Amino acid sequence: MPTSRSTRIVLYVYGILVIAFLYLPLVSVAFASVSRARYLSFPIKRYSTKWYGEAVESSTVSELLTTSLTVAVLVTVISVVVAFFGALAFARYQWRYRTTFQKLILLPIFFPQTVLGLALLMWFNSLGIIPSWKTAVVAHLVWIAPIATLIVSIRAYSFDPALEEAARDMGAGTWTILREITLPLLMPGMVSAALFAFLLSWGNFPLSLFTTGADSTLPEWLYAKMVSGYSPLVPTLGVMSVVGSFLLILTALAVAWLLRTNREARAAQN
Amino acid sequence: MDSSALLRLRGVVKKFGDFTALKGVDLDIVEGEFFTIVGPSGSGKSTLIRLLVGMDELTEGSIWLRDGRIDETPANLRPTCMVFQSLALFPHMTVGQNIEFPLKLRKEAPAARRARAEELLDLLRLPRSYYDKRISQCSGGERQRVALARALAFDPEILFFDEPLSALDYRLRKTLEKELKDLHARTGKTFVYITHSLEEAMVMSDRIAIMKEGHFEQIAVADEIYSAPVSRFVAEFMGEVNLFGLRADDAGLITSDILKIRAGVAVDNLDPGGHGLLMVRPEYVRFAGGERAFDFTLTGTLHGEYALGSRIQYEIETTGGMVTVEKLREDRLNASEGEQVTIGFDSAVTHFIREAT
Repeated sequence: MPTSRSTRIVLYVYGILVIAFLYLPLVSVAFASVSRARYLSFPIKRYSTKWYGEAVESSTVSELLTTSLTVAVLVTVISVVVAFFGALAFARYQWRYRTTFQKLILLPIFFPQTVLGLALLMWFNSLGIIPSWKTAVVAHLVWIAPIATLIVSIRAYSFDPALEEAARDMGAGTWTILREITLPLLMPGMVSAALFAFLLSWGNFPLSLFTTGADSTLPEWLYAKMVSGYSPLVPTLGVMSVVGSFLLILTALAVAWLLRTNREARAAQN
Repeated sequence: MDSSALLRLRGVVKKFGDFTALKGVDLDIVEGEFFTIVGPSGSGKSTLIRLLVGMDELTEGSIWLRDGRIDETPANLRPTCMVFQSLALFPHMTVGQNIEFPLKLRKEAPAARRARAEELLDLLRLPRSYYDKRISQCSGGERQRVALARALAFDPEILFFDEPLSALDYRLRKTLEKELKDLHARTGKTFVYITHSLEEAMVMSDRIAIMKEGHFEQIAVADEIYSAPVSRFVAEFMGEVNLFGLRADDAGLITSDILKIRAGVAVDNLDPGGHGLLMVRPEYVRFAGGERAFDFTLTGTLHGEYALGSRIQYEIETTGGMVTVEKLREDRLNASEGEQVTIGFDSAVTHFIREAT
C-alpha cells in the first residue's frame, strides 16, 4: 500500500516527537556536563570540559567505576552461564514440574526491586553476611539471571532438537555436540543475554542501594549526590555512563560482525 | 529366520509407561536391499527407527548388526546414519561444512574431506559451486540432496530415512523418489526407509513391511503386498480395494450375500467350512455387457465418476456397499449417473483373505 503524503507527514512528526521525548533529557544532561557552573541551570553561560578532567582524575570516580564494572562483569558472566544451562534444561529435557519451575524462577522479575533489595538485605543480615559489592552481585543475579535465561530460552526453543541428534548419529559425543552445534546456535541469544545482563546491572539502583553495604556503585553515588551535596560531576558521570553503555553495544555488534565475516571467510577458504 | 541378514531384530519391545509402542518385533534386513516400513501415524514406525539408530532404548529384545549386538551401543558409536524428517542440516554451516561434518569428526585431512564432499556433490547432481552456499540459500530439493550427501559421507552400514520427503510438494517428491531408488542402485547401500505413504514405498522398495499397532502385519515384496495382502488392514492400507464376504459350506459350495457366483468357480485358500474376504482391486473390475461371462458379477447404480488424471474412478452403489472401479481414460464408460450397471471379475484377478473360524 503506498503511503499518502499526509500519512507520511504524520509519521515523521510522530517519529520526531518520540525521539525528542526519549533523548531531550539525555541531551540536556550532556549540556549540563559541559557547563562551567557548579549547579544545574539553563541557559548555560559558559562551556567547559573542566568537570570531565576532574572526573577522570578523581579517585572517588575511579573507585565507583571499578565497583560498578566489577559487579556488572561478574553478573554478566554468571548470568550467561546460568542462562545457557537453564535454557537447555527447559528446552531439551522433559521433567516433572518443569513448567511450574519455569514460572517460579521468572517470578523475581515481577517483584518490585526495592522490596526484593530489602528482602535480600534482611536475608543477608540474618545469615550474618556483611553486605558489600559481593552481596550486590548476588542480589543482581536474583533479578538478572532469570531475564538472561528467558532470552537464551527463546533461542533454545526455536532450534530443532534433531540437529543435536543428527550430530550424535554421525558420531559426535556430548562435548563435541555442545561445541559444534549447541553453542554456535545459541550464541546470538547468549550475546543479547550478556548485553542485557551487563546493562541492567550497570544501571541498577534499587538492588544496589540495599545490598552494597559500605561500597557504592555509580548509580548509587549519583542518587546520593542529587539528594544531598550536589556535585557538578553528576551530569558528567551520567554522560560517561551512557557513553560507556553505548560503546559496549557497539563493541558487541562489532564482535558479532567480525565473527560472522570471519566464519564466512573461513568457509570460503576451505 | 535368516541368520545371514545384515540387521536382525529379535522380540523388540518398547514401552512408554503403560503404553506398549512395539509389541515384540522380529525383522531381518538383507544387505543391499531397499527396505521400507509403512504404517499409519501411531503404528510404531517412528519408535522403531529411533531404536534402530540408537536414539531410544528398547525395553526388551535385541538388535544385531552382522555378528554384533548393538542395542546397547550409543547412537554416536553405531555405524549407521539417518536422514531426518526435518533433515537436520546445520544452519550455521555451509553446504560443504555440513557434508564434511562426519569426516571432520573422524579427523580426516581438510583436502581429503573437500575431495570427498565434491565427489558427493557430483553423485547427487549438485553443482560444485554449492560447496560454499549457506543452507538457507538452498531450495527444498537441494536440501534433501545435501542431507543425503552428508549421510553418505558418513559411509554408514545402513542408511535410515525418517520420512524425509513428506514436507515436499507432489512433483518434487515424485522426482526425488526416483532419484533415491537410483541412488540406492548406484551406491549399493542398504536403505531402510519409513513412511506413511504407500505410493512412496511402492515406487522405491525391494521389500515392504506394513506396521500396525506396534507389530508387523505383513513383510513381503511390494507386488505381493499389493496383490496378496494377509489382512483387511493391509488390503485397505495399500490403496483402493473392494472386499466381499465369502463362505464355503462343508461340501465346498461357495456362497456370497452380494456376489452372483458362476457355478463351479473355485477360490484359492477357501476350504470347505471356511470364510473370509474376497479382494479385487478397482482396476481389475470390468463393466459387463456383451457376451463375456465373469466368475463373479453384481449389479448396482452408477453413483459417481471421478477423474484421477490418467484413470477414471467410478463408484457403484450395490447392496453390499460402494464398489470402486477404475478404468483408463481411453476405456471410459458410456453411462450417466443413476444408471444401472453390471460389473464383474474373474477368480484369477482376486485374492482371498482367510479369516479365522
